[in-house]
Amino acid sequence: MITGLTEVLFEVGYQRTTVSLIGQRASVSKSDFYKHFESKDDCFFAAYEDAIERIREQVLAACGKYAKSQWPSRVRAGIESLLSTLAKDPALASISLVEGLRAGRGVYDRYQAAVESFVAYLRDGAPAGPGGEEVPEATDEAVVGGIASLLGRRVLAGDAEQIDQLLPEVLEFALTPYLGSDEARRIISAG
Amino acid sequence: MSPNRPELPKEFVASHKRRRMMDAIVDLSAERGYEATKIADIVRRAGVARKTLYDNFDGKEDLFLAAIGAAVAEAQGRVERACTTAEGVWQNRVEAGLEAFLGFVAEQPALARMCMVEALSATPASAARYDDALRGFVELLKRSTPAETSLSDTIEETLVGGVAWILNQQIRRGEAAEAEELLPELSEFVLSPYHGVAEIGSIPQSESDSTVADSNS
Repeated sequence: MITGLTEVLFEVGYQRTTVSLIGQRASVSKSDFYKHFESKDDCFFAAYEDAIERIREQVLAACGKYAKSQWPSRVRAGIESLLSTLAKDPALASISLVEGLRAGRGVYDRYQAAVESFVAYLRDGAPAGPGGEEVPEATDEAVVGGIASLLGRRVLAGDAEQIDQLLPEVLEFALTPYLGSDEARRIISAG
Repeated sequence: MSPNRPELPKEFVASHKRRRMMDAIVDLSAERGYEATKIADIVRRAGVARKTLYDNFDGKEDLFLAAIGAAVAEAQGRVERACTTAEGVWQNRVEAGLEAFLGFVAEQPALARMCMVEALSATPASAARYDDALRGFVELLKRSTPAETSLSDTIEETLVGGVAWILNQQIRRGEAAEAEELLPELSEFVLSPYHGVAEIGSIPQSESDSTVADSNS
């Protein structure tokens, strides 16, 4: 049912997604649906959590291949995996980055919390700024939020499948506050 | 109506009513959210007849979009004026623009909440307006930075999105009034990709640092 909702949502948007449509797609009756979920919103919450969890798993698995001391490689692997996970599954990209904002305040709060949760992964092991001074917390948040905002806009524009092509720019954006632009560009071109 | 009361010009009254309805939806959507704001609440708050609202707007969404449009125009006007009047190096333009925007958020918390929080999640059309506004600020940033420091459109878009994200959080926490305190962090964040962070801030200090580093390497 969660997969059904995610697919239907991608095709018709939150407003026009109904319990009957979800049921049809998942081949379950309406009464079966209501045995599991109280409402469309309830199912949406579950689908949303599921989507975020799938993305998080991929990203963490990719980051986990590198030690904390290899911070630039970790960030690179994490962002690369984020972008390719979204590019491969536009329905996943849509629910997590676009529909999550359209489904009322409850989900909007979860969207915010989900984006925020990536701040800790970015900060973990991050070097002090290129000037040697600690990078302010607002920067970590602005990096993560800026990426979420960019990806959301691309998905909304129907470019989800090409999202992985943004890797060099997203990476430059993410690394620059910590390493300076020269070092960031050097790492990106080194591949 | 008293016969002694001077009559106000019709256009004045009409535009004043439009203004009041727009103000009402700004305040109400900031207080309780767009979804929970009803036409009845808007006309009561604005002190206009329901018919007046429908004479001026197609409905709640149309009024909301008009209010967003006016607020975005005001914010962009302030930022643009600040960017164009700033003197000295180009970094001052960017910083002045950012300062003007933070000033707008601090002085007009309800307008800021409508444009930066409610617009995003209210309706697809309002989200599109949010998107347009973001693009407008990307253009302003591009015009304020010299061509030779040019960054890709994507990175500039992400910088503006990052600033919007931070302010969105600030507004949601109910701390819009303190937005101006974010200026140092946000200007560093926005300026750093345009050239090495070391070149920003205390310029003489950093320059000597990098010279030492260069001669060591």
